[in-house]
Amino acid sequence: MSLLQPDPQAPSVWRDNLPVTSRYTYGLAGERFFRILKDEGKIIGSICAACGATYVPARAFCERCMAELTEWTDVGLVGELHTFTVLFVDMEGRPLDEPELVGFVRFGDGGILHKLDADPDDLQIGMKMEAVLKPKAERIGAITDILGFRPVT
Amino acid sequence: MRKVAVIGAGMTKFVRRALETPKELAWEAAKMALESCELTMKDIDAVCFGTAPDAFDGVHMNGEYVSDGAGAWRKPFMRAFVGGGTGVFSSIQGWYHVASGMFDVVLVVAEEKMSSFYPHAQAAFLTIFDNFTERPLKPNLLWIFALEMNRYMTTYGLKKEDIARVAVQHKRNAADHPCAMLGEPNITVEDVLNSEVLAWPVQRLDVSPISDGAVAIVMAAEHVAKRLTDKPVWIEGVGWNLDTAYWTNRDLVYPRYVEYAARMAYEMAGIKEPRKEIHIAEPYDPFDYKVLHHLEGLQLADRGKAIELYLDGTAARDGNLPVCPSGGLLGVGNPIAAAGLMKIAELFWQLRGEAGARQVPGNPRRGVAQAWGDLMQIGTVVVMGR
Ligand SMILES: [Zn+2]
Repeated sequence: MSLLQPDPQAPSVWRDNLPVTSRYTYGLAGERFFRILKDEGKIIGSICAACGATYVPARAFCERCMAELTEWTDVGLVGELHTFTVLFVDMEGRPLDEPELVGFVRFGDGGILHKLDADPDDLQIGMKMEAVLKPKAERIGAITDILGFRPVT
Repeated sequence: MRKVAVIGAGMTKFVRRALETPKELAWEAAKMALESCELTMKDIDAVCFGTAPDAFDGVHMNGEYVSDGAGAWRKPFMRAFVGGGTGVFSSIQGWYHVASGMFDVVLVVAEEKMSSFYPHAQAAFLTIFDNFTERPLKPNLLWIFALEMNRYMTTYGLKKEDIARVAVQHKRNAADHPCAMLGEPNITVEDVLNSEVLAWPVQRLDVSPISDGAVAIVMAAEHVAKRLTDKPVWIEGVGWNLDTAYWTNRDLVYPRYVEYAARMAYEMAGIKEPRKEIHIAEPYDPFDYKVLHHLEGLQLADRGKAIELYLDGTAARDGNLPVCPSGGLLGVGNPIAAAGLMKIAELFWQLRGEAGARQVPGNPRRGVAQAWGDLMQIGTVVVMGR
């Protein structure tokens, strides 16, 4: 059984869609975060000293006190595996040919959601994970410039 | 502020694919609620309507589009929308319409038709994620719940077979609900553990089903409520609270947003010891582990210990603190906004002694309902009593 269940008893329908395409600007913080990822291969965060919070990926303002964040920091490419999952179905509930690994790697008070390159049996919450970047020439300034995370060996 | 009572309730069946349009579903529930307290639209001063993302019904400005089904024709009308928290929040909205003194009688309707989304409603959630850091990975909601469940289980050393008891109990409870979609009196822990793995540790039967349905209630000021019914059920406390918009910055093990909402509602209701003063709990249960999260946030269990309420029978319908005697989202179904308002309707029926085969014994006097949603960061809580 999958999430997608054809139902022979389903009532008759009219098919239509909501056609919407959007162009999203990266914004004040995103523009800088992704440019540094592309050009320098670094993951950067921004710090609110007053709240003691390090936002990763970097943000333009602190959501707690609403101050502008001007202190930026290189948090390195190694974070901590906060949690992970093994995916067996796709968005529409169809089985995947090969299970995929997804994890949340913590940096500062935030972190990055991404694919993991590892044997699921080797994964443990709390272990160190390292970002694997595309070669500089192939990077475009997007989260997919990071190919994924793998255990630090 | 004025005292506010719930005086009537109605609910459609929750089904996988309804023939009815969203308007017709809303109308069916509204009509049942009005008839339950022998009122007509002439008696209704204002209408509150809850429906979750427009994408499900597939109509932009869906609240206004469905409004006639909710009885809004030539009435003051307002739509509440806080994602999965919408159903419980719509009753909070109804409460302040009346408590403020603006209106004496308000009809509150919550509706969701998720089957319109094709081929699967899960895809509607793709666009709730951050455009830059998450959407390029094509995440779906299951990822987030699987990640949260894994962190919660690992932190407290909980076992899958124990968490499965939550799904089993709710689906068994739902077997007694005439509107339920997945009531299964004989389901076992093995059935849950043998169901398809979607995103480990989340399996098919750990999850509530995509559904269509609607629920409605009638809320009235004290002087009207006392004239219309011998059994008003009072709204004793309300609370709501929003955590950070970034799930990556949230505590995945403990829902602060539920705690703060619960404390707000308990303070208003004068509740100091919720574990003694609450007799029925209807926490939001789209996933089995999420019930445990929410019971802890509601201060009804210590952190990491909510599972014990299921293991020792406390959470059973005849236990000391029945949890989701309705059958919840896991058993009755999960048409998002309607599922939340179902919890308010369930407390209404339970506290009046009108819950039929689902009735909790011992003349319960007070209950709490809770829902969760938006970008998984809102807690909405209502305490009801008689
Ligand atoms: Zn700050």
